[in-house]
Amino acid sequence: MSKEIWWASESFWRKNAIWITAGSFLVLIFLTFDTVSQITAGGKRVPGYSVINHRITYEFDESRNMQVPVIGVEEPLFGQKLTEEEAQALVTRGKLTTQAKNCMNCHTLLGNGAYYAPDLTKSWLDQSWGSKDIREQEMVDFLMNPQDRLHNGLGRRMPNLNITEEEARATIAFLKWMSSIDTNGFPANFVSIDQEN
Amino acid sequence: MIEPVALKDFFLTFFSAAMVIMTGGLYALLFAWGRIKSRPGFMQLAYLSYLGLFVSVMTLAYTANLFNTGFWTVIVVLMLIGYLLAPHAIWHLCVGTHQDELADEAASVKAFSTVVKSRGV
Amino acid sequence: MAVIGKLDSSNLNGGQKLGLKYFSVAVVLFGAQVLFGLLAGLQFLYPDLLFGVLDFSVNRMVHINAMVVWLLFGFIGSSYWLLEDESGVPVVGLKLGNLGFWILTLAVVVVVLVYLLIQIGDGTHTSIWLINEGREYIEAPRWADIGIVVCVLVFFYNVAATFTKGRFTGVGGVLVLDLVALAGIYLAGMWFTPNISMDQHWWWWVIHLWVEATWEVLVGCLMAYGLMKTLGVRRKIVETWLYIEVALMFGSGILGLGHHYFWIGTPEYWFAIGGFFSALEPVPLVAMVVHAVFDAGHHKLKSTNHPALAWIIAQAFGNFFGAGVWGFMHTLPQINLYTHGTQWTASHGHFAFFGAYVTMVIAFFYIAVQKWRGNVYMSGNIAGGAWKWKWALALLHIGMLAMTMALLISGYEQSHIERAIGGSDWVAYFTAQAHPWFVQGMKWRQIGGWIFAAGFVLLVWDLLTIGKRETRPAQALVQID
Repeated sequence: MSKEIWWASESFWRKNAIWITAGSFLVLIFLTFDTVSQITAGGKRVPGYSVINHRITYEFDESRNMQVPVIGVEEPLFGQKLTEEEAQALVTRGKLTTQAKNCMNCHTLLGNGAYYAPDLTKSWLDQSWGSKDIREQEMVDFLMNPQDRLHNGLGRRMPNLNITEEEARATIAFLKWMSSIDTNGFPANFVSIDQEN
Repeated sequence: MIEPVALKDFFLTFFSAAMVIMTGGLYALLFAWGRIKSRPGFMQLAYLSYLGLFVSVMTLAYTANLFNTGFWTVIVVLMLIGYLLAPHAIWHLCVGTHQDELADEAASVKAFSTVVKSRGV
Repeated sequence: MAVIGKLDSSNLNGGQKLGLKYFSVAVVLFGAQVLFGLLAGLQFLYPDLLFGVLDFSVNRMVHINAMVVWLLFGFIGSSYWLLEDESGVPVVGLKLGNLGFWILTLAVVVVVLVYLLIQIGDGTHTSIWLINEGREYIEAPRWADIGIVVCVLVFFYNVAATFTKGRFTGVGGVLVLDLVALAGIYLAGMWFTPNISMDQHWWWWVIHLWVEATWEVLVGCLMAYGLMKTLGVRRKIVETWLYIEVALMFGSGILGLGHHYFWIGTPEYWFAIGGFFSALEPVPLVAMVVHAVFDAGHHKLKSTNHPALAWIIAQAFGNFFGAGVWGFMHTLPQINLYTHGTQWTASHGHFAFFGAYVTMVIAFFYIAVQKWRGNVYMSGNIAGGAWKWKWALALLHIGMLAMTMALLISGYEQSHIERAIGGSDWVAYFTAQAHPWFVQGMKWRQIGGWIFAAGFVLLVWDLLTIGKRETRPAQALVQID
């Protein structure tokens, strides 16, 4: 048996494996604290739920080299101004609806999910709703009865998911709130409804 | 800050990024093969692969606008140096971890090896 | 049973018998994955197919869930398979392990039936507790989450306690610690929040840290055992390399989580972290290549189990291309901005899951079947012919490659038309979906799917029949320990 080289020995690499794993994990936990504080609703990058009382637009930020959300003048959803608690309750109901209806296995949200139907990250701002005046009602009608509305040349349709009017409104609140999240410019080149540029 | 890839550079970006891994793998493969067979010819091919790797990393760096910022430039430099040295380091590790075995083979000591039927091993 | 021939469970120890049960369910679920994948793929071509009956969302959910669960069953089965061999003592809580198996299997059956028959619920907590959590990959309702954790804990107890009672090998040590992480990390995905950014932040802990960290290491353990079993590589070397691999894998993989934090609302510093650790990603691959060549140069490749060895080699290639090349092609944020959430991801996902995990579990199926037959000969010139396993391997690979390339072309087109030229809105999305490159891609993907399905059928046939006419004992393994 020849003498073992320390840097090629089993025990050296056992220790290495443990320390590298533990070290990486500690760094991850440290970063997680910071990230979680920034993405808490009402934090730096994710607005509080009452943002649904306001107009949401995007503008290009030179220093960050990307489009960033701008919270504009008051423009309450369905013309009804909500407190932060009421807004949170509504968005919560909407989020539960998106989960219970399994939206994510056709659509993507923030780019994650399935690729059979369009991304919903900025669906509130999508130009397909025509104009802002009819958007809210259009969205409610669509969500409640999507099965007969062919909106593309592919023949792909959204099935009827038995969404009630209350669930539809809550889902729209969730979608409006989601469109205000700072996603570092994702999706690229998006042009909002009624946007100037 | 990042500067997203321009549309005209999409193909080059995907291609060069794929080639980074492919040439990196090829470099490692030829390097190890050259060493194990003690054939200098393979070594030259290995370094030719590294040249390909170098070109791929630089292409990726240009198309993905990595030289625009200090941080991403550092990443490019680290990639160039790291990928060059990694097979060397791993090779030493292979020799180091296998040295008992190599010594046994050299002396063709049969005492260590026992032929065992795989049943019950 | 005449078709299958003689199988002999008396060749197996308790852990291995339990492992076989897990393998059997894994194969059935693998079949479900293929079936529902075919249906979902067909719906891209014929959108009216089963519309309102089994919608795309349902088929796709079963497709990806079946995959997660069958791989998990494969991993658990493989671990039970090697447990008594490695530790030198019988499984400590075999009855408990069997109970865990039946509970887990029953839970899976109920969950799938609910997916298929009830599908969706009201927008309430009750729905995500009982029907469907609606989060990609971890759709299982909350009650099933709890069941999964309990069963994984039973499994963990068995592994940890058996190694503690017998001998704690290096493989055993890594396996036990890895299972702690596996069970622990799952908890990060088990709570509700209305905040989608927070939701996806923790969701990635489960998806990434499972798939790109703990699963990789688990496969490393299986690979280590597989190499000792099929090639007779020395334990000391295998275990030293297992540690090296863990260091490289966790060193690059844990913070590699950053490449999923580019676009979900998380801070910009993740660009830098994700980019840096993506650049580190090739290092474990290079290590693997160099070491494989080194080994091949020093050992004559004499294996006791040709099919298993072939699948282990396939794992090395699959991991290199599927995870390495396909991942690195679009991982940097500068380009990921255009590929995130397109068929690019699907292309990478298909190839990487198959290359890194499916191959390894299939290798274990063959190791298991050899022993179940009474440790028969399974090297070259096997009686009854080797065409079935070779063709199954070929068809599964051709099918997978066809799907991967087709999805790649579709995704490439999407990144141009939908993302870069179009404004990533709905009109741009549907314009890209109607583009000939995309449509052709979906057709070829479907053809690849059929080829893959044929490979699967052949694989099952082969697993059931391989070695039934073989009377020679397994080739002697030169084990230098």
